[in-house]
Amino acid sequence: MAEDTFLTDDFLRQLINVGEVDILVGLPTHNNAKTVGSIVKAIQSGILRWFPRERAVIINADGGSRDGTPELVTSISIDDVRRGPNPYALRTLHSISTKYAASPAVPAAFRTILAAAELLQAKACVVMSPESSSTEDEWISKLLRPIRNDGFDLVTPTYRRHKFEGVLITNLLYPMTRALYGLRLREPYAQEFGFSGRLGGEFLSQNVWDDGAAGSGIELRFTLAAITAQHRICQSFLGQKDHIEQRGSDLVPALRQTVGPLFSALAPDFPFWSTAVGSQPLLSIGPDHELLLDLVRVNRKRLREMFTTGVAELATVFQSILSPDTLAELQRVAHVGENDFAYPAELWVKTVYEFAASYHKSVISRDHIIQALAPLFRGRALAFLMEQRNGSEQDVENCIESLCLEFERLKPYLLQMWKSRE
Amino acid sequence: MPLTQDVLWYKDAIIYQVHVRTFYDSSGDGIGDFQGLEQKLAYLQDLGINAIWLMPFFPSPLRDDGYDIADYNAVHSSYGTLEDFRKLLDSAHSRGIRVIIEMVLNHTSDQHPWFQESRSSQDNPRRDWYVWSDTDHRYKGTRIIFLDTEKSNWAWDPISKSYYWHRFFSHQPDLNYDNPAVREQMWNVMKFWLEMGVDAFRLDAVPYLVEREGTNCENLPETHAILKDFRKRLDEQFPGRMLLAEANQWPADLRPYFGDGDEFHMAFHFPLMPRMFMGLKLEDRKPITEILQQTPEIPPTCQWSLFLRNHDELTLEMVTDIERDYMYDSYAENKTMRLNLGIRRRLAPLLDNDRRRIELMNGMLMSLPGTPIVYYGDEIGMGDNINLGDRNGVRTPMQWSGGWNGGFSTAEPDRLYAPLIQNPVYGYPAVNVVSQVGSGHSLLHWMQSIIAVRSSTAVFGRGSIDFLHPANHRILAYVRRLGNESVLVVNNLSGTAQAVELDLRRYKGNIPIEMFGKNIFPRVGELPYLLTLGPYQFFWFRLRRI
Repeated sequence: MAEDTFLTDDFLRQLINVGEVDILVGLPTHNNAKTVGSIVKAIQSGILRWFPRERAVIINADGGSRDGTPELVTSISIDDVRRGPNPYALRTLHSISTKYAASPAVPAAFRTILAAAELLQAKACVVMSPESSSTEDEWISKLLRPIRNDGFDLVTPTYRRHKFEGVLITNLLYPMTRALYGLRLREPYAQEFGFSGRLGGEFLSQNVWDDGAAGSGIELRFTLAAITAQHRICQSFLGQKDHIEQRGSDLVPALRQTVGPLFSALAPDFPFWSTAVGSQPLLSIGPDHELLLDLVRVNRKRLREMFTTGVAELATVFQSILSPDTLAELQRVAHVGENDFAYPAELWVKTVYEFAASYHKSVISRDHIIQALAPLFRGRALAFLMEQRNGSEQDVENCIESLCLEFERLKPYLLQMWKSRE
Repeated sequence: MPLTQDVLWYKDAIIYQVHVRTFYDSSGDGIGDFQGLEQKLAYLQDLGINAIWLMPFFPSPLRDDGYDIADYNAVHSSYGTLEDFRKLLDSAHSRGIRVIIEMVLNHTSDQHPWFQESRSSQDNPRRDWYVWSDTDHRYKGTRIIFLDTEKSNWAWDPISKSYYWHRFFSHQPDLNYDNPAVREQMWNVMKFWLEMGVDAFRLDAVPYLVEREGTNCENLPETHAILKDFRKRLDEQFPGRMLLAEANQWPADLRPYFGDGDEFHMAFHFPLMPRMFMGLKLEDRKPITEILQQTPEIPPTCQWSLFLRNHDELTLEMVTDIERDYMYDSYAENKTMRLNLGIRRRLAPLLDNDRRRIELMNGMLMSLPGTPIVYYGDEIGMGDNINLGDRNGVRTPMQWSGGWNGGFSTAEPDRLYAPLIQNPVYGYPAVNVVSQVGSGHSLLHWMQSIIAVRSSTAVFGRGSIDFLHPANHRILAYVRRLGNESVLVVNNLSGTAQAVELDLRRYKGNIPIEMFGKNIFPRVGELPYLLTLGPYQFFWFRLRRI
């Protein structure tokens, strides 16, 4: 267990009152009053409907909300003093909240949740996103049943999304994780997932909590830890994932939270991924994805502009990161006419791998490396959007699969870069 | 020891439920009898019992263990004579033990002369003593109580070529309480026994006395009116006697049976009992506190009657479907243990013969508000035999010793009315009164001591209850109060050690004195009062301000 100040006395007291549980639902929050109300109701409903006999607790790790978020979460407790909407619930359901002793950050929240899971001997746990307004009570069941009933250690979600949502996942995180770690896990960076108490306990005792670089993207580190420890993993289809409007300025933070931790993990995980060959499918409960195809507006001009400007303005930065051939090819692509714009899969994969290798060697500040990836990602996103503008679900899936295979094919290239930079 | 003259004696009673047939055979015919029970009154007195409830001992074809009565003004010859019963009554009274007997108002045996006459012709004067119909369509929607054996509440009588109404077995036709002659006759029956000296009646199956079209035929206003009339006559002619209602209903439906203190003195709190078992298995006080919070206030002269087990199946009628399924899966995975809507097992087997759980459940029985009833044999942890039909598995001979027939009878074993429990865990060589009397730490001795502690104060029988709601849901805690006396009860419903912080600010300055060992605990202050309890442990603290 960590240092004294990690869990407050008040939280410990609350945990004592809860006692041993079978199921723990973790909810990290920070000023989520607009969305958390319906989410906790779905959680409560899910527990009562699907696990009425299990000892369950909801643990809210809050970053110091000022909008009443913790009160909304704790209000759905069911006990003999305050009866919830279902007066015929068999058991007490504790919903407790604690403010973790750190500035608002997902890693601190997750650590609190894992600590609670260990102290309460929770057998199966699930973390829910406080922002997802499409949460249904069935999600609890879909994420927990494989753990409770079938002995899995990690259950990641799959969703029904628009074909142009989650491009960072479909064009980088998924294919790269698949190629390097050998598992076709569609959502390696999930905000809702289930895990066993055993896996949670192992991860809690790992030395990741003080590592600033991995501090963000802890969910991704968790997934990778499960893979490298060869835990049993499956994915479970949850349904519609609500669309969150992304602003242009959100991209760099998103890259920091996802690509940064992925790149960071490659060094400690080198013994694992350097020997993994190909990729294996994993059990998917329900479809492993579904796509919505309705038309959406995309500002292609803006995207291309950001790509070409980035290529031009960051040329000296790219000289430190990329190989001369890759840079030259990028510069050629940047000058292609708008209608013929393409960012071929092979070029994209080489780009990503060269960035990963440079990150490993810290050729320049790692954060600058991540920032520098942003315009290039925009170029790749543009190419994908253009190519799949009229693409069917199968077309999109074929495109992603081709990209995955390209990542797998060029893995030796990464290995070569990795070693040459040592 | 003379009987107390307090008209509210039933509030301080510790009742022992026993069937004459099961207790002790003095004649050597294999069947318990009145003389045998009389010989064992000293045992009951030593246990701390001050009232016995006798199951039906009337002449009967015994197709429902005596609840099918064929003559209300006599005793079954297997158990002795009326004179034997009178002697038992007198002996009990001389030991300060009151006697409660059964009175089955709702129905008789089809062998009763009244029914024989009633069915004989449409013109018979007793025709209207039962509920007859040309069709079986009346009172549709009325639930069937004995689901495992009965398909309808109507039975075809081939002799009178019509249907008769029966809420229980088909050989138990319902009396027609719309007939004043029936009401008068039943009062005369009760009077017969009251004049003999009987202290109280447990009135069986009272919700079903009257039927009306368009209703569920239970708890009707007309039924209450009849019962109120009986009570009025009782108070006028036999003050100090008591009526105990057997009405397996939700608390809100039970409340009317107390009236304004002018109907029943006592009623069984049926819905609480399964929830005690549920709370124990869930390790969560919620089912217990919720049902008690839903329990309405009753008139000050009235009293709930609490029990853990009895001669019937552990009834699961008054629980929700989800609760029933949970109880079945938790306590009766083997489906042969299930009967009607219940579980036909004794206390000790239900609790896996876990001494700590048995003590905890008895601790709650003795400390929750109401008069406790101990089912015969549960004080020594007797087991059951689910291979005997119906509910007979919990009605086996009392186990007095490890010797011949468990000390129950000198008859040949084949002649016993039912076989003794024989398995290595609960069999009479292992579980019997003699060996437990000889062992200072036996369950029997423990039951004696808890009854003694309970009886040492009126607060348990007559006091109020205030629930504490500690955040640890595994702890059931409450304060019983009567006048200046307060007792804090804390129960750990879980099988693991627990810590609990109790908000006792209201009792600040009091010194908790543990009532069994009489040791003092730290004084109550401003801060939450921290207690730690071992698995299934409970405390009773007298709160003393000095």
